[in-house]
Amino acid sequence: MRELPSEKLDPRIKNVWRINDAIWIIITFLCCFVPFAIAAAAEPDEGWIPIVLLAEAVVFGALLVLFVVILPPIRHMRWRYQLNGDFLDIAKGIIWRKRYIIPFIRVQNTDTRQGPVLRMFGLSSVTVATAAGEHEIPGIRTEQAEQLRDRAAEFARIAREDV
Amino acid sequence: MTGAYDEMYGVPATPQQAQQPQPAAQPQVAAAQQAAQAAPQPVVQQPAPQAAPQQPIQPFGQEGGLPAYHVHHSYIWLGTIRSMLAVLFVLLVTSFSSVAGVIDEIGYSGLGMLSVVLGGVGVLFLVVVGLVVLVHVLAYRRLYFTLGPNEFSLYSGIITKKRVHVSYDRVQSVDARASLVQRVFGVCNVFIDTAGGASNKAVIVPYVTKVQATWLTSELYARKRQALQPQAAAAQPVPGQAQPAATGNLLDYGKEAWDEVGGIFAGAPMQEAAPSFEYGLSNKQLFLSGLSNNTSFALFVLGFLLALAQIAGFVFEAFPDESNSVMGSLTVPAPDLLTGAGLVASIVGIVVLLLVVWVVSAASQCLNFGGFRARRVGDRVEVERGLLQHSRQSISIQRVQAVVVKQSVIRRLIGYCEVSLDKIDAESGDDSGQKNGLNTSGVIVHPFCKLADVPGILQGLVPEYAGIPQDRTPVAPVALRRGLIRRCIIQGGGFWMAVCVAVLQIMMNVLFAPGSDLTVNSAAEDALLLGWANVVCYALYAVAAAIFALDIVSAVKWARESGFAVNRQFMKVVNGGLSREERSFPRNKIQYGSTRTNPFQRMAKVATICARTAAGVGGTTIVLWDVTQEDAERWLDWVRPRS
Repeated sequence: MRELPSEKLDPRIKNVWRINDAIWIIITFLCCFVPFAIAAAAEPDEGWIPIVLLAEAVVFGALLVLFVVILPPIRHMRWRYQLNGDFLDIAKGIIWRKRYIIPFIRVQNTDTRQGPVLRMFGLSSVTVATAAGEHEIPGIRTEQAEQLRDRAAEFARIAREDV
Repeated sequence: MTGAYDEMYGVPATPQQAQQPQPAAQPQVAAAQQAAQAAPQPVVQQPAPQAAPQQPIQPFGQEGGLPAYHVHHSYIWLGTIRSMLAVLFVLLVTSFSSVAGVIDEIGYSGLGMLSVVLGGVGVLFLVVVGLVVLVHVLAYRRLYFTLGPNEFSLYSGIITKKRVHVSYDRVQSVDARASLVQRVFGVCNVFIDTAGGASNKAVIVPYVTKVQATWLTSELYARKRQALQPQAAAAQPVPGQAQPAATGNLLDYGKEAWDEVGGIFAGAPMQEAAPSFEYGLSNKQLFLSGLSNNTSFALFVLGFLLALAQIAGFVFEAFPDESNSVMGSLTVPAPDLLTGAGLVASIVGIVVLLLVVWVVSAASQCLNFGGFRARRVGDRVEVERGLLQHSRQSISIQRVQAVVVKQSVIRRLIGYCEVSLDKIDAESGDDSGQKNGLNTSGVIVHPFCKLADVPGILQGLVPEYAGIPQDRTPVAPVALRRGLIRRCIIQGGGFWMAVCVAVLQIMMNVLFAPGSDLTVNSAAEDALLLGWANVVCYALYAVAAAIFALDIVSAVKWARESGFAVNRQFMKVVNGGLSREERSFPRNKIQYGSTRTNPFQRMAKVATICARTAAGVGGTTIVLWDVTQEDAERWLDWVRPRS
């Protein structure tokens, strides 16, 4: 097996993932839980409603543990990227492992995005778009994001034909 | 550094290109050229390079120092008629109730009143006609285009003015499409594709005459060539000898008749650059392509299923009492079919119906491909087709994303295939052409040809693709096992059908077992019913087994035939099976490459390779499952830019 790309994401991205996933899981949980909770309050005699509530709590608790405790370190470990001279190399995925080679001359534009959570940690996410789809590098330091963007811009100038 | 860019063009370097070995300096040269052209622009009106003497369209004025051209005046009245048909329909629907209400109210005596009402409706209609004409006249006056030194511009809009500028070097393809009515009048719509913008929308120049469309097309391509290679602006000689269309078919007479008549405003045919390669379809090719299209296969499957449903319906209808309570809702209600003769009659009816649909679909395919001509002109490939609705697609050779050779099941059996060129498709905002699927799968350059003829066609039509690798790196040996599991079980229609039928059968047998309290019939009737249901289930198992067998054959063939090949410039991916698809594309059209593995693949030491190109709407991924990990890594190395 050829060696993986050298760069890892900034370790703080784990916390970003944790916060993002936790927010989504909690919102979904509330959407599922609250109606049944109201039903349970209205109909205290129905025996099955507390069982449903309990099952939901268990499932979402497990999801929360999975996405907050177990997955982020593994994801961080598996997520690698590397800015080589003229191409971007990305390896990611835990079960379905993927490896992408994106030549910079094919890159149409790069976006740097910073949501509130990423900003809180001083990270940026860079999206590299080709004519047929885009790739996101979710958590890198801002100066590295700029380097990536400049590299893509430099090669975009050289490329004569687009597609 | 230059090494990375010499493969920016998938085409083999022509002598001119080979003599300028600093392609990296090209943008600056082009920019300088543009600047040089832009500077004297107000003084020197640069006319079209070669079409100036016979320019079929006269400018009406100037826009930004350039001659501006209107589209054809049929825009006003054909457009009006088209809009009026819609307006008329709405008017009829809305006014009908009020007129009827008035008639009802005043009775049939007040004829005077009635005529007043009808007169009012008539006046309203005339007013609407006037308005629509006015709108079209205004729109026509504001609709014009110019051919600037660097870009094509289309101006439109009555209140909100809109300009679209298309840089010549960004032109992907130029299509001229005409509906039947437009064809009668010899006009067509020109679609200029740029593969830009959020939805890849084409720039549409509506209602230009046929000869103007031809002129516009060749003009755009000439200027595109100039923009890309300022030094070598002259037409490039293309390898391959000029070959007149040797083959022809019956429908070509229809095409010739069209060409002869040309339509009312078509104008005298323009002298065009001679194609270096051209061909049509023979009678046999045309009709067989109609008979063997994909619809026919779908129809056979459909007919089979319908016949099965009919049989099932008959079986249950034979016991009218039970069927209502048990399976009545699941089967086709056929209350008359109480005899075997009825069953036979209904099956014959279905067969006849399917035959009719088949013939109609074949005929429509024949009409679509009537007058088919594919040719190579300079650096573009042109495909002309359609007996009623006509389309003339042209695509620049640099914009071809892939050459695809496809064999559907039926065509595979008789050794024929369809050849098409992948291009970046536009989400066409206009509905014309979409109905026929004219834009669905790139440009079909031959709908039906012998597999052995493909190299000759490609040699003539796209000689740039001469270097397609002929060898093949097969998929890993373990791919046979994995392919069997994937195609027969995970994606296997037969397997899942058998599972569903089994579940259904078990449920029926448990729920309606003799003595069960769910039924209202006697035990004997139940037993009979269950017996019939089981017979149907066994028939379905047989069908599932047949599909399963086909899946097995398909998987084995896939594992034997599939593979990929790469050389310096090209990559070829073959995915076999009952139907077969071979896709060849230049390395520089790969937007990015990826490999992916799942845990089972990692255990078997294989990987899936995916090459992503920009073809189609939003891109196409060319996937090959289960090549060995070493091959996958070698391929990924090949995708990496070589600097």
